[in-house]
Amino acid sequence: MFVNFFYTLKDRGIPVTPTSFLRLQNAMSKGLVHSLDDFYTVARTILVKSERYFDTYDQIFAHHFRNASLEDPTAVELNEVARAMLEEWLQNPQELADMLGIDKDKLKKMTPEELIQYFLERLKEQTEAHHGGNKWIGTGGTSPTGHSGYHPGGMRVGGASRNHSAIKVALDRRYRDYSQEGPLTQSQIGEALRRLRRLMPTGPKDVVNVDKTIYETMRNAGEIDIIFDRRLTDRLKVMLLIDNGGWSMEPYIGVVQTLFHYASSQFKDLKIFFFHNTIYSRVWADPQRYYKPQDVDELIRWDPETRVIIVGDASMAPYELMHPNGAIYVDAKPSGTSIERLRFIARTFPHSVWLNPMPSDEWYYSTTVKAIRQVFTMYELTLDGLEKAVQFLTSSAK
Amino acid sequence: MLSEKNNSRFGGASKYILDDELAKIVNVSMALEMPLLLKGEPGTGKTMLAHAIAESLQMPLIVLNVKSSMKLIEALYQYDTLTRLNDSRFGDSKRNVSDIEAYIKMGKIGQAFTADKKTVLLIDEIDKADTDFQDDMLDVLDQMQFDIIEIDKTIRAKNRPVIVITSNAKKDLSDPFLGRCNFHHIAFPDPDMMRLIVSVHFPKLDEELMKICISTFYRLRELRSIEKKPATRELINWIRALKSDPDFKPKTLYQGRVPFLGVLFKKSADLQQAAQQVIKSRG
Repeated sequence: MFVNFFYTLKDRGIPVTPTSFLRLQNAMSKGLVHSLDDFYTVARTILVKSERYFDTYDQIFAHHFRNASLEDPTAVELNEVARAMLEEWLQNPQELADMLGIDKDKLKKMTPEELIQYFLERLKEQTEAHHGGNKWIGTGGTSPTGHSGYHPGGMRVGGASRNHSAIKVALDRRYRDYSQEGPLTQSQIGEALRRLRRLMPTGPKDVVNVDKTIYETMRNAGEIDIIFDRRLTDRLKVMLLIDNGGWSMEPYIGVVQTLFHYASSQFKDLKIFFFHNTIYSRVWADPQRYYKPQDVDELIRWDPETRVIIVGDASMAPYELMHPNGAIYVDAKPSGTSIERLRFIARTFPHSVWLNPMPSDEWYYSTTVKAIRQVFTMYELTLDGLEKAVQFLTSSAK
Repeated sequence: MLSEKNNSRFGGASKYILDDELAKIVNVSMALEMPLLLKGEPGTGKTMLAHAIAESLQMPLIVLNVKSSMKLIEALYQYDTLTRLNDSRFGDSKRNVSDIEAYIKMGKIGQAFTADKKTVLLIDEIDKADTDFQDDMLDVLDQMQFDIIEIDKTIRAKNRPVIVITSNAKKDLSDPFLGRCNFHHIAFPDPDMMRLIVSVHFPKLDEELMKICISTFYRLRELRSIEKKPATRELINWIRALKSDPDFKPKTLYQGRVPFLGVLFKKSADLQQAAQQVIKSRG
């Protein structure tokens, strides 16, 4: 039954569902599992749905089957399984009925208590059958492979194991690199940013517009007139302005990098510029902010439909933002206040947002954040904030 | 059930090196009649697996290449209005214009459902489509049927196809989607496995050359700040390049020099990085 195993997986944070657990039982009852190696592979492919959890799975598997003999489920555990099955049942009766091979209509007439009782009996029946060793997992005699080390009642591994035994494989922890410690946010950011993509008709006229064709054909008194449209491609221009200087952005480097990487792979027409704290007369196309300066004034020649996303904590000394000579660089020419520059960008590109990696409840302590928020709509650089920002950028009216 | 399974067990194909684990997973998925979702780095042979299954079980392979703008209906069927319009105008075809069904063409999933033989259906790069597409598609695959609205007809699968789905992305697919699939992540092959793969492609490759090529290859994969690591395909091409160079000697590789670096690193930034690091490690 491996109920313990299942619950250990669940406790350790692998999202396993009762349905998949039943599916595993189903696989075993079909005689697909002949050895612990098989069990390792089959259970993983059915229960675990992301390589991020493979490492955890390996650890649990190794721990479970090396040190502990599997004990028969206690009454409490059976109860829990039955309860989980009931929940599953309420969501999707058909699936569960198929899985257990029982009659859906018959179960429909039962009360929840009766249902639990029924599931419980079935589970017990299966546990008992398991003792006999011929129904759920073929060990101790009926199994075609006949591993001597498997204890019929307890499914314990003893004796010498083969070179590639599941335990050894599990102990190798081949999937350590994929485990959850890696950056997770990239996928979420991607999902949010993807909505920004907007398909526009460009390219060759090679898609037939059926409605128009029929209409024109009718107008032509039945003489066929085929109307072609341009095919849809993503032509959205995106400009990303990133604050990559100063210690105040230091804690957020990870999340900004993620945004950066994802954006560069996602949009065909993406320009990325860097600045330090706030924007004066120039931004830079290189992260060192040295080799490739870009005059902010020249941005006016860009397509005003460009979506502008500014990422920065918007925290600095107020004079940096307000004073005409506020630029903290010696070689920067005096060029008007920075806040004026920001207003210029906001005017030039109606679709622009400011993403702030700082949590929003800290925004009120910073005067510069307040000032910038009067110019740009500001969102938190979180999944939620990003989604709102994307929504804001896609809505055409401002 | 059992008898059917026995004659349709998957055990590898001529040009595909299969590990036991994966073979087991394929067989379990076929027995449970569940789609198998494969993830993994590019170049680990996800797509090749479907070809190999089709070859070894001698089933026809139907490939659905998912595109980002794709609608589910395109994968199911297509109502060819233009031909019908044309026929109704000129009336010189054998089709009956008032019979809409004559103008319904099956899409890839539809083809797999209506085929007389059991087929292998490969749904390649599912992650390109949006989540709605994925969820809707799994409904269809779950129920093994779909409706053609135009003629109010339900298409049921004659034979449940063996379904293989691949995904390149690091991101997870939606939970309902995952719930209905078996999952496997193909890890990058280890050096021993790689040796087998290379020897399938170059049966007469010199043992010494093979050894140094593979160890160099894995060393290069360890280089820092590389965006796209070289994969199996690059290694094969690289060995091909080395073999075709008459001046090349394995000694070069032992000295730490790596010719034809551009075959392994496809992005110019990666190539520069790699070149710098290779030179540094020699010094």
